[in-house]
Amino acid sequence: MVASGPGAAPLENANPLIYRRSGERPVTAREEDDELPDAIDDREIFDLIRSINDPEHPLTLEELNVVEQMRVKVDDAQSTVSVEFTPTIPHCSMATLIGLSIKVKLLRSLPERFKLDVHITPGTHASEHAVNKQLADKERVAAALENSHLLEVVNQCLSARS
Amino acid sequence: MPEALSLLCRVSAHPESRCWALAWSPSGALLASCGGDRAVRVWGREGSGWACRAVLADGHQRTVRRVAWSPCGQFLASASFDGTTCVWRRHEHGFEVVATLEGHENEVKSVAWAPSGSLLATCSRDKSVWVWEVDEEEQEFECVSVLSAHSQDVKHVVWHPSQELLASASYDDTVRLYREDEDDWVCCATLEGHTSTVWAVAWERSGQRLVSCSDDRTLRVWQRSEGHGGGSEHSWQCVCTLSGYHGRSIYDVAWCHLDGRGGHGVRRRRRAVFEEVSPVSPGSPVTFGLAAHVPRAHAQDANGVAWHPREPGLLASCGDDGDIAFWQYQRPEGL
Amino acid sequence: MAAAGAGAEALAASVRDFVSGQQDGRAAEVAAGVKDGRWTVLQLVEALGFCLENTDPRMRGRGIQLLSQVLLQCYSLLQEKEVLHLVLFYESRLQDNHLVIPSVLQGLRALSMCEVLSPGLAVSVLKAIFQEVHVQSLLQLDRHTVYSIITNFMSTREEELKGLGANFTFGFIQVMDGEKDPRNLLVAFQIVHDLIAKDYALGPFVEELFEVTSCYFPVDFTPPPNDPHGIQREDLILSLRAVLASTTQFAEFLLPLLIEKLDSELQSAKLDSLQTLTACCAIYGQKELQEFLPSLWSSLRREVFQTASEKTETECLTALRALSACLSRSVLSSDSEDLLDSFLSSILQDCRHHLCEPDMKLVWPSAKLLQAAAGASLRTYHRISHSVLPLLLEQYTKHTQSSQRRTILEMLLGFLELQQKWGHVEEDESPLLSHQAPVCSVVFSALLDPSVQLQLVGIKALTVLGSLQGFLSSSNLELVVDHLIRLALHEEDSQSSEAAMEAAGSLAPTYPKVFSGHMVPRLEEELQSEREESHHKRHSLQQRCLQALAAVSTHTSIMKETVPILLQHLQKVQKGTEAKNTQDVISVCQSLHHVALQCQQDAEGCWYFHQTVVPCLLAMAVQAAMPESTHTLPGKALLEEEVLAAMIPVISAATTHLSPELAAQSVSHVVPLFLDGDVSFLPQNSFPCSFQPFGDGEHLEAQRRLVALLMAFVCSLPRDVAIPQQEWLLRELLALSCSCNCPFTATTAAKCFAGLVNKHPAGQQLDEILQLAVNRMEPSLAEGPRRTQALTLLLWVTKALVLRYHPLSSCLTDKLLGLLGDMELGPATADGFSLLMAESPDVLHKGCHADVRIMFRQRFFTDNVPKLVRGFHGAGPDVKANYLKGLSHVLNHLPKPVLVTELPTLLSLLLEALSCSDRVVQLSTLSCLHPLLLEAPQIMSLHVDTLVTKFLNLTSSPTMAVRIAALRCAHALTSLPTTVLLPYKGRVIRALAKPLDDKKRLVRKEAVAARGEWFLLGSPGR
Repeated sequence: MVASGPGAAPLENANPLIYRRSGERPVTAREEDDELPDAIDDREIFDLIRSINDPEHPLTLEELNVVEQMRVKVDDAQSTVSVEFTPTIPHCSMATLIGLSIKVKLLRSLPERFKLDVHITPGTHASEHAVNKQLADKERVAAALENSHLLEVVNQCLSARS
Repeated sequence: MPEALSLLCRVSAHPESRCWALAWSPSGALLASCGGDRAVRVWGREGSGWACRAVLADGHQRTVRRVAWSPCGQFLASASFDGTTCVWRRHEHGFEVVATLEGHENEVKSVAWAPSGSLLATCSRDKSVWVWEVDEEEQEFECVSVLSAHSQDVKHVVWHPSQELLASASYDDTVRLYREDEDDWVCCATLEGHTSTVWAVAWERSGQRLVSCSDDRTLRVWQRSEGHGGGSEHSWQCVCTLSGYHGRSIYDVAWCHLDGRGGHGVRRRRRAVFEEVSPVSPGSPVTFGLAAHVPRAHAQDANGVAWHPREPGLLASCGDDGDIAFWQYQRPEGL
Repeated sequence: MAAAGAGAEALAASVRDFVSGQQDGRAAEVAAGVKDGRWTVLQLVEALGFCLENTDPRMRGRGIQLLSQVLLQCYSLLQEKEVLHLVLFYESRLQDNHLVIPSVLQGLRALSMCEVLSPGLAVSVLKAIFQEVHVQSLLQLDRHTVYSIITNFMSTREEELKGLGANFTFGFIQVMDGEKDPRNLLVAFQIVHDLIAKDYALGPFVEELFEVTSCYFPVDFTPPPNDPHGIQREDLILSLRAVLASTTQFAEFLLPLLIEKLDSELQSAKLDSLQTLTACCAIYGQKELQEFLPSLWSSLRREVFQTASEKTETECLTALRALSACLSRSVLSSDSEDLLDSFLSSILQDCRHHLCEPDMKLVWPSAKLLQAAAGASLRTYHRISHSVLPLLLEQYTKHTQSSQRRTILEMLLGFLELQQKWGHVEEDESPLLSHQAPVCSVVFSALLDPSVQLQLVGIKALTVLGSLQGFLSSSNLELVVDHLIRLALHEEDSQSSEAAMEAAGSLAPTYPKVFSGHMVPRLEEELQSEREESHHKRHSLQQRCLQALAAVSTHTSIMKETVPILLQHLQKVQKGTEAKNTQDVISVCQSLHHVALQCQQDAEGCWYFHQTVVPCLLAMAVQAAMPESTHTLPGKALLEEEVLAAMIPVISAATTHLSPELAAQSVSHVVPLFLDGDVSFLPQNSFPCSFQPFGDGEHLEAQRRLVALLMAFVCSLPRDVAIPQQEWLLRELLALSCSCNCPFTATTAAKCFAGLVNKHPAGQQLDEILQLAVNRMEPSLAEGPRRTQALTLLLWVTKALVLRYHPLSSCLTDKLLGLLGDMELGPATADGFSLLMAESPDVLHKGCHADVRIMFRQRFFTDNVPKLVRGFHGAGPDVKANYLKGLSHVLNHLPKPVLVTELPTLLSLLLEALSCSDRVVQLSTLSCLHPLLLEAPQIMSLHVDTLVTKFLNLTSSPTMAVRIAALRCAHALTSLPTTVLLPYKGRVIRALAKPLDDKKRLVRKEAVAARGEWFLLGSPGR
């Protein structure tokens, strides 16, 4: 796992495109009904990850278009979630860290029955295969989260911005 | 094949954490487990269930990934993400650390005792496999070889059941075998075929065959072919690939040494037991059929499986839910 | 003589006890002796002689300590001559042993407070201190004494001190140099501030004075835990800032310092620098700033471009605005180069081009910087917008994507809003005016864009343009109205439609003629149109028309046109009986209510509305309630409960703001209508039958329901309006509330009765009617078929009296407390406590002039909560929940700050209530505990074990609201100290995994938030 913190080096992509946030999901009457079950849908998963902070910009992954709702697929019945994320530039060294943050956020927020796949959007990163393999290795993820420096960066990505 | 594998008992072994691996003591009286709570626990029978006999909590600073008993049953080795391997000695009232093996640059992923008890092997994310010489009297451990054959993270090491032959599985998608060659250890075979991380390997009792499990969702059975080059070089062939049985990564595999059965833990609530169904003759294809399958054996990923060394059909498994489950395997009729 | 001798002996004894015996209490006795004349200070000095001459410094110190302590109490009694001698004595002692110095300083401090201090002495004392005492080697308290002496002299001997010239400043610099104690620094900063503000000579010591204070900048101080002095970091920051920003003389030193700190990594240093810079701009001019402008601008720009912190950004923009304002101010007096112009040029040069890249990150920071500068003065506004407006207009046309256009228009809107700030366009050569046509066309094109987001910005821009007097030509205005009508009625997205209505509402008062002449007829036409093919579409169009009519009724002249349209439409739709008619009638009522609220402030409009609408509604209702026209209930839409409920706010809002005279005029019609059936004032007053809402008989059931309208009217009247035949009316209402079988009518009658009783002047009449009410209630409450009605009446009357602190209220409340134990009425009574505490929407609130004491809830809490607690403990198991429920209603309505101070005493009960199976109790208990967790974490920490267990249990409640509340509390638990929580972390995280899979999304959302926060506990990076 990458262990370099943000802030020390100059920004890799100092002036990225920014995208508008989609805003809070409006609450429907159905959601307020005590009885009717609400399936876990793509938007719900997207809402979990869209506000993750980028490790090097004061922006969210949604604002940087790193995550998009159309790249989130959930199958509630089969308990599978698949998320593709798109690094802002093809050589972004933060890609693993971003993927790790998404993975950790989902691990903390989804029922345990879910199988998670977090991948780089195909064709958008130079080391796509290596990053995907690292993210899929739960042993490495577990070890990374015992590294307090890395955990600190991930937690910062997952903390609500003041 | 209904009821081929029936649940005997379930223990919350590492609550609020995950259980990574299991190891039966040579006599089968004790079962050791380890997990994300940085502890090793030792379990013994109590009535019809299993009770915790000891908690080995102060040896490691991080996750304990694997545990291994010495052949004499007096020592227990634990490999941890903190980069160390601890050796614990069993005494009347519990266990105490007698040695802490340092040297790996980062996470130690696995540890194994050789059948003689005089060698110990460890492996790590630092891509190396270390072989240690054990002086039981003095309780001293000396590194005799650092093997850097793998190009990536080494996930698992395991010794041949009767010879000083070591197998290792790696993130570089291969399995490698090592033996001693004139005072030094060398890599004597590379088993290529898996298309992703090889998580674990297990020997058949005879040592003629190996089974490996992988992130590519397959199991491969490898057979040693004798005779080529006069004996010192090994030649191994993949004689069987079991695919389509697992939908996700397979984290562990175990080969029952009482008869020909292999069991393996599968990511996601599934564990299957494959049974050899046809007589095996050298060089002929080996075929296996699915013998038992429990779709929801664990609430989350299953991480480890271990057959009991004495009692036929007794199997233990553990998973991310922190539980250990004990199972009884019944050979289905007609097989 | 004998007495004097005895006095001398007593004095000598006291002195001995103090000095040799170490009895500190003697000082007070000696001082008392001076005050009551038993001895003089001179005698004290003589009595002290032996020890003042003593060779042991401790003895001397003790002696001087006694003298100083006495002086501190008696300095006002001293004679000028005594003061002189004492000053000389103390000055000489400044050279004494260091053990003695603290007491010497105390003595001097006492003397510095003497009014009779001879001229010259102050200077002499200060000189002596400056010369003899190395202040910074003293203890904190003694240093403080020195500052006090200086402060005292500065406030009373300013002229003398100024005579010292810059020497005084220099002396003080040496005194404070190296000071570290925050308490002393506060005083020292104040002294420096006064030196500057009162114009003491700084001489050649300006830089030294700056150094000795600026070395504390930026303030880096964290009060120790449990700091008894209560000095906050902010106190020091503000008092240091007051010094640094107090004079232009510091500018050449301060500005480089600020620039340096602005570039530091520390957020707090940045903020402090920015705020100090802003403060300086209030007194600085071009001269001070000139040299530093390029660096200041580049630092500010860099921060705004890069910062992640909104706070830093805001402070940067404020500072930039202050700088620009400062330069604008001095521009006229400057004959040299126009600094403002070159400053603004550099801003434009660095920011302008970013506005052309609406997709890029720097577009907003650049726009904000430009707007901050433009917001500084009219001059900066002209300079900036002259350059930026054409650019933005051009860029809007150049970019075609809605999202890009939206960004550009939003920036444009920012500049339009600044124009609003700088007044009317027509008065100057505004750059906006010269771009009138393209600005309008850009805004209009946004209104036609399919993107709702762009439309919304366009509508906002339209509102701003409309508010600029004279900007929109009359033909443009008609276009504006056309657009607004289109968006309000036909735009599919409700956000745009609502925004358009709101815009119409805010523009209508400025252009009443255009709106009444152009918009109202179009809306009327659409309202009546039968064009739309599908029923659903026609219905929603009508809804929109009704809302739009209400929205534009902001001006009396417009309202006079819209109200008849609304009433006419009401006539039309009320005739049916289908469910949709009910909805339609309600919609019209809501629009009427909206209009009523908008015209309340205008006396003429208010009266017009009242006179037109109230009789018309009453007439329609009376007509509907005629027995011939309906045989079964509910017959007419107008008599439905929901419709009556929708008419109540209309009548109420039309009544509350009437002048007493007009109200009296109206009440003289309405009350006789209900009591006597006098229908003469109604617009259509020929009814087939008489109107007798208080009469007996089943056929009058429909008429009785109209008491709701009576309530809306009489309970909304100003308090000083006399109600004709009030006692009769009250009796009728009382009878109706107790006897009527229809719950709606009975409740309404009870509310009306309560509303009147609340405003009824105190006295015999009120007591009589209340007695009557009690007499009627009691037997019905005790037994019989109408217990529920009696309880309703009791609740409302109790509320009416609780609100006004009427003495009978406690007796009625006790009755309610008693009923909590009643098997049949207990649960309803418990719910009734919510009615007592909550704001009622239609009667008994401030808006309808009810007598509401502001602290009534606290008072009710104090009086009744102990009783509720006692009741709970004494109650049987099947009624216990009633008490908890009642209690939780009371607690729930208590203002949060009061709740937080009162709750700890009730905490154990609340914890018990968490185990109660009643979900209302659970919910309200959780909502009581939530603020406590956030605001009283220390107290809550003591119960962490119980709280964790109970909250986690409740996360699997069958009720969604309880699960949500329990999860919010589990989340709020994280504000307790981390060390308290860590032992529970694993368990909580494990337990919270279950609600992550809740079937309800809203529950899952809370679980995610709570669990995420628990993961962060004690983890790095939190």
